[in-house]
Amino acid sequence: MKGNYHLHLLLALATVLMMSGCASKEPLLSTERYNSSSIKVPFVAPRSDLCGATSIEMVSSYWQSITPYTPRLSQEELDARTLIPAKGGTLQVELMATARANGLLAYTLTPTLDALLQELEKQHPVIVLVNRSYSWYPLWHYAPVTGYNKKDQTILMHFSDRPNEAINIATFKRLWERSGNWGIVLIPPGYLPASASSKAFLRSAYDLEKTGMRDQAIIAYKSALQRWPKDIDILFALANAYYHSNKFTAAEKYYRKLLSIEPLHPLALNNLSDLLCHTGRHNEALKTIKKADSNNIEIQSIINATQKKILSGCTLQASPKK
Amino acid sequence: MNISKLILSFILSITLLTQASWAQIASTEALFKQTETLSSKDKIIQFTARQDVAKILAQMDVEPTMIKDRVAAMTDEEASKFANEIDTLPAGGDAVGALIGAVVFVFIVLLITDVLGLTKVFDFTRTVR
Repeated sequence: MKGNYHLHLLLALATVLMMSGCASKEPLLSTERYNSSSIKVPFVAPRSDLCGATSIEMVSSYWQSITPYTPRLSQEELDARTLIPAKGGTLQVELMATARANGLLAYTLTPTLDALLQELEKQHPVIVLVNRSYSWYPLWHYAPVTGYNKKDQTILMHFSDRPNEAINIATFKRLWERSGNWGIVLIPPGYLPASASSKAFLRSAYDLEKTGMRDQAIIAYKSALQRWPKDIDILFALANAYYHSNKFTAAEKYYRKLLSIEPLHPLALNNLSDLLCHTGRHNEALKTIKKADSNNIEIQSIINATQKKILSGCTLQASPKK
Repeated sequence: MNISKLILSFILSITLLTQASWAQIASTEALFKQTETLSSKDKIIQFTARQDVAKILAQMDVEPTMIKDRVAAMTDEEASKFANEIDTLPAGGDAVGALIGAVVFVFIVLLITDVLGLTKVFDFTRTVR
């Protein structure tokens, strides 16, 4: 009762502050800040020890139902890629790896209720790892969160064999904090998680590139640029990805865009010089590499090597493909 | 030197050589690491991490035909985490199978905590709150 009284007082105070037109200094409770949401995620019945695979399947078919995205893996492949029989389940790293193999970007959620509710409000389902029991007898389980009911204070999730099971938010918090509030947003590369930071999103996109999905990564970098148009790191990653795909015109465009924001970026100067060298613009390459300079010994040694290559007429180690 | 070691060193040398040929291009990896290129030593460690993952998956009864794809789908960081922390990483699964082996005491304790809303082991329980 006493707790309730304080809660009401706090809410009343916050309301007054907001009505008087000034920003509230007291942070609002996250459960009050976000609106109710209900996401139409198709339900898939559980298969023994395969909640990892079914969670990916449910979220994938959700995106398939509302975007041009098409899953790459069959149900059998999802099962065969996620299950570790001796563990009786799926590891987090393989859940993410399999989601990527299915053509989705896997973004690790900031471990807070705020971030979760923010995604739900934007109609992005989140797969969470919960411990249904205690640490002394852990029962780990993956489930897609499909909504939030502000009035009832419940979290909706496709829990085991129950579609859109409403779980009291206090109970949900306990189950979820036992996994360190671990959750992932699986999303087609052309879309952005609502709660994403540029650095963390870039990492997720680069993970796609590193696992052989460079075209998907390029789509992700480009959508990231729509939200963070002047982000140096994203521009660098996009330019490199184009370069590795032998799309030299596009790569050059983004190196130059980066350099228009940060003219002395040593890595971009180096890579642009290399590109100019490969595309037969020897003099310009030399002029560009001369601007590059770094205190970092390793970066400087790369710059020196590029300079040497340009001076030798761009013939040294001509464009080998990995 | 046995055959497998020979093959290993052969694959490794190819990996290192092909990597070296891109040496002049500063990689996107530079954004996430203190140093901008991976040293050869790092590459060897990551390569053996992948070997370890393949071995662990085989030991844990994973379908042999899937192992190659599963290892390939992981990033270097994921492979290292897998290889180093396999004993402690949680594996999400179903509660049912694990519960069959549980003793009655555990069953009752968890039933009560379920009703209190502290856990959610059983699908048939409703919390009192």
